[in-house]
Amino acid sequence: MDFSFAIFALALAILLVIAVGLLYNGLVARRNRVQSAWADIDVQLKLRHDLVPNLVESARGYMAHERQTLEAVTQARSQAISAGANVPARSSAEMQLAAAIGNLFAVAERYPALRATENMQLLQEQLTTTENRIAFARQHYNDMVLDLNTAVASFPRNLLAGLFGFAPAAMFTAEESDRAVPQAKV
Amino acid sequence: MSSEPALSSSVGPRDRESFFAAQQKNRHATWRMTALCVLTALAMGIPLTLVLTPLFYAGTLLTADVVSYFNPLPPEFWATMKELATLAVRVGDYFFNNKPLDPQLLAVGLAVLLVPGMLIALALWMAMLALFRRAGVGGAMASLNAREPSPHDLHELQLANVVQEMAIASGLPAPRVMLVDSAGANAAAIGTSPADARIVISRRLLDDLDRDQMQALLAHLIGSVGNGDLGIAFAVTSVFETCGLLGTIINAPFGPHARSTLWRVVRYAFSRGGSGTTAEADGIAALLTGDLDLQSDDIDRFFDTGSHRGPVHKFLAFVFFPIFFTNAAIKFTLWFFLTAFLGPCMALLWRSRRYLADASAVQFTRNPNALAGALRNLTEDSTAIPGGVWASHLFVVSPSQDTSAPQDKPTAEQMRLVARAWAESAPAQPARSSLTTGDYMRCCAELIATQRAAVSGDPTALARMTAFHRTISTLVPGPIAQSLPDPADLTAALRGDPAAIARLRSQQQNLGRHHQTVQKRTGFQAESMVAFHPPLKRRLQRLERMGAHVDWGAKQKWSSTKIIGTTIGFLILAPFILAAGALMLVVVAVMIMLNLLFLALWLFAIHSLFGLLAPH
Repeated sequence: MDFSFAIFALALAILLVIAVGLLYNGLVARRNRVQSAWADIDVQLKLRHDLVPNLVESARGYMAHERQTLEAVTQARSQAISAGANVPARSSAEMQLAAAIGNLFAVAERYPALRATENMQLLQEQLTTTENRIAFARQHYNDMVLDLNTAVASFPRNLLAGLFGFAPAAMFTAEESDRAVPQAKV
Repeated sequence: MSSEPALSSSVGPRDRESFFAAQQKNRHATWRMTALCVLTALAMGIPLTLVLTPLFYAGTLLTADVVSYFNPLPPEFWATMKELATLAVRVGDYFFNNKPLDPQLLAVGLAVLLVPGMLIALALWMAMLALFRRAGVGGAMASLNAREPSPHDLHELQLANVVQEMAIASGLPAPRVMLVDSAGANAAAIGTSPADARIVISRRLLDDLDRDQMQALLAHLIGSVGNGDLGIAFAVTSVFETCGLLGTIINAPFGPHARSTLWRVVRYAFSRGGSGTTAEADGIAALLTGDLDLQSDDIDRFFDTGSHRGPVHKFLAFVFFPIFFTNAAIKFTLWFFLTAFLGPCMALLWRSRRYLADASAVQFTRNPNALAGALRNLTEDSTAIPGGVWASHLFVVSPSQDTSAPQDKPTAEQMRLVARAWAESAPAQPARSSLTTGDYMRCCAELIATQRAAVSGDPTALARMTAFHRTISTLVPGPIAQSLPDPADLTAALRGDPAAIARLRSQQQNLGRHHQTVQKRTGFQAESMVAFHPPLKRRLQRLERMGAHVDWGAKQKWSSTKIIGTTIGFLILAPFILAAGALMLVVVAVMIMLNLLFLALWLFAIHSLFGLLAPH
């Protein structure tokens, strides 16, 4: 009788270990997804940096005397690159770059010859897609954070989360400075 | 708030659901539907095994007779066979004459009767899964005239970018995009797994949808890939393929068409793979499921007594006569259960996956209006894509059958024309006088191979394709000839030549104005009473619950008389429908009984023949 009880207890213990292992792995997977989504945002931001020189060169041929606008874009780009990992400086630099590019397109509207060129159309499409990709990368990050936060907070994973140190992550929100409308310099 | 609530019946906050909730609902629905499918498959297996098992035992007995003619088998073997036979008879007695039977014996008897057939069906299914796993689904669409989007065209660049954006939003690797220059506007996801998925999209779609709608459509496709729909599509397809293989094997002694199909299957099984594998897999699958129809000219030709067949043929006809009955029984059983039970179950399962993909699209784009607009635009167009008719369930919207384009099953006259034109286009082959179905199949295979060679730059292949095109334009006059694109243009387009691409597009656009589409179910959706694609209205309703603004037009209010009339109509019809279903079941049972009877008589005759011929 004792023997069968021991076997039963052993089986129960093994099942418990397996269950805990599966739950823990789920939490680990979710946290890793959040981290990789965060890194992906950086990838898209860098893509925008790489696109800017091409854009400036295409526009320069047509807008030779809009030097100020073109210079602003190039300068904003180098600032964004040099900001590096410093988060507040980086985010404000990226914002400046977005504003400068938008400004460039606003000015380009006044040159119908430039607007109609196939090259400019394609390039505008490339920039649209870059902005979209950044937005979607942030959206994906937020989705992953939602997934992780829900898992960490719900039973039975919340017991494990406290034990093994899984904390809910912060969502990507627009900061107050982001919400300010950038001034168009004409 | 609105001061005229009667005018617009908009969806209020209580009717809303978030796309996450919609996704969860659809995932639960998938589990329910899968359970239903499994149960139905098991239920369908019973009549099928009742037909297969006697065949199996007949085959064993026949082989035993032949073997013992040359080398007598031990008497224990015959004793065991006799025991099995008496057991089967007793089980039959228990069911039909209510004679009592020991439950253990009953279990053994049932096992003996049902298990061999089940094992055969299961083995065939496993073989189909293993055979086609490499190729996945939808390969035929990718082989002909599919090209990469060129970065010099604005719309195609937008397409490539939108695919990348959706890949980022979903966290999946971006699938390869293949553009097809066809008159229809549709898109499908093909492949085996998210890692090697491809998206086939028609060029016309890029012109008809704007950027947001294209984004929503691709979100739907990528979402369905990420949800594992490719694996589910593969499983659904394999069930139909197994049924088709069963029918083809039974047909094999009778007709060259079935034999050539089987030969292709065997050749494919041993091939090393390569560029043509996926298309070949699709071609085989189409042939296999084509045999599921109730008519088959192979068998009719075999048993045609009015022809000038020799005595050997007559003897073979006598030998194989019960197989004719088994064949008819299997075909009828398969057809009935597929169309009435298993087909609809799988269709309902597939529908819940479509809804799930719609909800995933809303999650990725956060823009339900775009998807609603895209679906609306799609269904108003002609949606046929060549090569995709068989795998029609993979498309976003059900592809209608284009009446003026070359159809999936050409008439005998058309087949002969194509075969003759192909034979004439070959530089040094004499034209044969009579061409059969097998020749047509071979011509198609050669055509595909030559086209592929022409694309990769082989000049003789290109010359042959041009000659073929010229011959067929003269043989087949009228709009059909105009719908065939110039092979030189095709090969140039596949290499990325923008002028050729533009020429093809204008040709297809001109054709698009003359096309009349027939809303007929294509592919193996025709084998099911319930369509695999959810109706547009229901998809739009679900999107509306997720926040889309759908303009329904004038909402028809059902008057009470109409409601009462419809209810009475259903009440009257329902018993008839049930009676028809019961009648079908009775017919299936009768066919199985007749099959058993004929098989038993035939076996008895052959067995006693061998008994007479035995040396002792």
